[in-house]
Amino acid sequence: MKQVSYKSLGYLLLILGAIISLFPFYWAIVSSTHVSGKVFAKPPTLFFGDQFFINLVNLNESIGIVRVLGNSLLIVTIYTISALAVCTMAGYAFSKFKFKGRDVLFAMFMVSMMIPFHALVIPLFKLMANLNWLNSYEAIILPSIAYPFAIFLMRQNLFAVPDPMLEAGRIDGVSEWGLFIRIVLPSIKPALAAVAIFLFMHQWNNFLWPLIAVQTKEMYTLPVALSSLFGLSRIDYGQVMAGVVIATTPIIIFFLALQKHFIAGVLGSAVK
Amino acid sequence: MQRMAKFYILLVAILLVITACSSNNGGTTTTNNGTNTNSSQSETNSSSHNSSEKENVTITAWAWNVNVGALNAAAELYKAENPHVTLKVEDIGRLDVYDKLSTGLAAGGIGLPDIVLVEDDRIGGYVEAFPKGFLDLSAQGFEANEAVFPNFKLELAKVNGTYYAFPFDAGPAGMFYRTDIFADAGVNADSIETWDDYIEAGKLIKEKTGSFMAPLDKFNDDPTLRMMLNQLGIYYFDAEGNIDFLHPDFAVAMAKQKVMDDAGLIKDVIGWDGVVSATIDGSVATIPFGAWYYGTIVDQAKDLDGKWGVFRMPSFEKGENHSANLGGSSWMIPSTTKNTDEVYKFLNFFSTNDQVQQIAMTDYGLFPSLQTVYATEVFTSEVSFFGGQKIWELFANEMPTIKTPYYTNDYAIGLDEAIKAQADVFNGKAIDVALKEAAERLASRTDRQINAY
Amino acid sequence: MQSKMHVPYLFLTPALVLFSVFMIYPVIYSLFLSFQSSVQGEMVFVGLQNYEKLLSDTIFLKAVTNTFIILVIQVPMMLFIAIVLANALNSVKRFKALFRVSFFMPAVTSLVAYSIIFSIMLMGDGLLNQIIVATGLDAVPWLSHPWWAKMALILAMTWRWIGYNMIIYLAAIQNIDEALYEAASIDGAAKIKQFFYITIPQLKPVILFTAVLSTIGTLQLFDEPYTLTKGGPSDATLTLGMYIYQTGFRYYDFGYASTIAYVTVIAIGILTYIQFKVTGDE
Repeated sequence: MKQVSYKSLGYLLLILGAIISLFPFYWAIVSSTHVSGKVFAKPPTLFFGDQFFINLVNLNESIGIVRVLGNSLLIVTIYTISALAVCTMAGYAFSKFKFKGRDVLFAMFMVSMMIPFHALVIPLFKLMANLNWLNSYEAIILPSIAYPFAIFLMRQNLFAVPDPMLEAGRIDGVSEWGLFIRIVLPSIKPALAAVAIFLFMHQWNNFLWPLIAVQTKEMYTLPVALSSLFGLSRIDYGQVMAGVVIATTPIIIFFLALQKHFIAGVLGSAVK
Repeated sequence: MQRMAKFYILLVAILLVITACSSNNGGTTTTNNGTNTNSSQSETNSSSHNSSEKENVTITAWAWNVNVGALNAAAELYKAENPHVTLKVEDIGRLDVYDKLSTGLAAGGIGLPDIVLVEDDRIGGYVEAFPKGFLDLSAQGFEANEAVFPNFKLELAKVNGTYYAFPFDAGPAGMFYRTDIFADAGVNADSIETWDDYIEAGKLIKEKTGSFMAPLDKFNDDPTLRMMLNQLGIYYFDAEGNIDFLHPDFAVAMAKQKVMDDAGLIKDVIGWDGVVSATIDGSVATIPFGAWYYGTIVDQAKDLDGKWGVFRMPSFEKGENHSANLGGSSWMIPSTTKNTDEVYKFLNFFSTNDQVQQIAMTDYGLFPSLQTVYATEVFTSEVSFFGGQKIWELFANEMPTIKTPYYTNDYAIGLDEAIKAQADVFNGKAIDVALKEAAERLASRTDRQINAY
Repeated sequence: MQSKMHVPYLFLTPALVLFSVFMIYPVIYSLFLSFQSSVQGEMVFVGLQNYEKLLSDTIFLKAVTNTFIILVIQVPMMLFIAIVLANALNSVKRFKALFRVSFFMPAVTSLVAYSIIFSIMLMGDGLLNQIIVATGLDAVPWLSHPWWAKMALILAMTWRWIGYNMIIYLAAIQNIDEALYEAASIDGAAKIKQFFYITIPQLKPVILFTAVLSTIGTLQLFDEPYTLTKGGPSDATLTLGMYIYQTGFRYYDFGYASTIAYVTVIAIGILTYIQFKVTGDE
């Protein structure tokens, strides 16, 4: 009997949690289908309206949603792929090799996660200006390709790759690079998926740095463009919410596509 | 190792492709300032060559929201006489403009536009922190414009006697109110002259309709207090920059607010969204704010068309000053601009041209500081959303008697301490104690003197 | 066989180069900045003055206290509930994917949306209070009372990150050997006992991992106070992250802001070290 009640309790908890987690997003979707003022309605408007396309059109007029969405997608895609490559390689070096300075370098990466980004914005900005890369895709993408959190996760996952497998490959005369590409990578596919999701998340919602690095609206990413809808007092919440819906959809799709691997991939890294 | 080399070549190739892509996408390629003649290539090339002695110039500007529209409208008018000048406005969120401006200035003047919109209460702070960051407008001859702007806007555009900003919009304060709620309670707005009248009316309204009188983010913001201080001719600091928290009138204002709260007339709301929410749902009967609040009301409360009115901010004593200002912004020119004269000319045009300011008013709800505009038709017209009341006339009449709120460069800290004092008072602390403590904290944070009374 | 000494360096090079350029330079620059102060617009070297100022800065002290209070309450609470939820999700058979996505949503919902929604929900007569009042309790002054404002932040943070942590725990729980539970059941141990004596100890390394991450995140906390409370009321929700931002971007004291930032880094470092030592891992 005890079992049954625990199970029901479990379901109840989960359902409650799911509703709480989803409600704000649901409310955002509903708000995007109404006129601006409705967002403040009491009780909250929970049913869909008919203003979505109008809001979308207005949003496009305000920020050029197609261009902005395109920027975000392009940047995030390039970022995820390059960061995944770079961080996996670094994680591989840290986990499967002994070399001078390994622990110090790794510690350096880890400590950098503790530094509040606000302190680094200005020098980074100056650097980008000196490199003549302000207002470019590379300015947004490059600074966080070497993403310590991703390096950490990959290192953890790569510990699990059996050394004998690598040794066997070496004995067979496989090059180090070949070893990496043909033996190591395929064996950590779930980890690649998991880290890809984290990287995607990081760059998709990245706000402060793209805001500072970008000079013209043609280069805006979604978060920056959405923020530009907020003047002092005249805010069209219908547009804002429509933007939110558009901003959240790609990452949800990405997560849905990779989620099975995600669970498995996080696993390897978390359990030491 | 060959494989690895190939990989690196691929990575570098990808990076080169990205670089090539983004350079073509309208990114500016200069580093030290925002003005350049590379972007908007097509626009400058297609402009006529009438003024062939003048080089084509692109002016960049940062502004938020509706101000962008005003700039663009002005640019079109300007282009008729000055075809060689093209304006490129970046629409950036208000707070984001400041973050970018601060970063650019702190980095030594990098990536800054030719024109930037700055709210009046930030001008002092920026100029003091970055003394060489902004163009000296006095040196450009700004004094010639003094006659057309109200005194307080001129004062706010100056730092240590030198002009650094072009006054743009102002926030003459008024009491926005719900005519229907007042009618339900049987209160006549015309009968409210003093804050005491207001409080009495408020009690009646609360009793008859259940609505609060006004919204306030009691513990996070003090707009009502600021308007009251301004009415009384004082502010956080005096003209010399001394702390004026201990001025007897400061306590008077604080006390009046407390009386309102004790009578249950203030609705505690959270942040801007809270104020707007209360405006829409009728839980408050009035909202004391600057003229710019008109925009929010017509945007968010479309269902309440025709149910609004405005009356003058109540005064403290019968016959005393009613007028006050809340908000308002001006245009500044970062000193990194490469086209000093052209930019100055354009802003001069923008700020002193009646037609431009009218458009800003009618199309974008930006109340002009340019006094000459008040004589035009729009200021004597009836506004249907406000039941046909001539609200712009009301606001325009307030402008001449507004006193200068001396923000100084420590405004942010002053605001912080004033809000804390207000919060303490709402929580029951004695007013004189709260003000004294706040004054002392402010003095220690800013190294300023406290005026004793 | 060729020498393998250079191999790891080659794999590490891209990360190292990017890191050196985009992290080391800014870090050194801002470290230097922390010893400087603005004198009439010019940055001037002032030695340890900024650091000394920190010691007598009551607002800094407030920020430290606030951040620690939030840390001590929010992190254990969130992690514990996340484990419970992960356990529950592990035992249900249906709708797993739906639950997973639902819990993950908050972590990817844009900051803009969630802050507007939460501000409206937490208003005096907002949705949350409507529900509370309906159950007979008094409305809660969520964002106007110093204590409740902290609670509101904690609520918002928990909402945002609990799913993220839950999924991490879910993965780890799925890896726990079934045999352990079977043996315990045979011995007659109740489910609750199994949870506390098997599940949690088995999750120790994962808990450490999430605790460290949460600590780093909370000590740098900026998004929530900035969008929901602006540090108020009366600095009750002023966190270190917000104070750094304010000092630099509002009061234009970038030198001092860097000082606060590096002191924060030291604090995070110490806490992380303590957490490692306490759980007895490397």
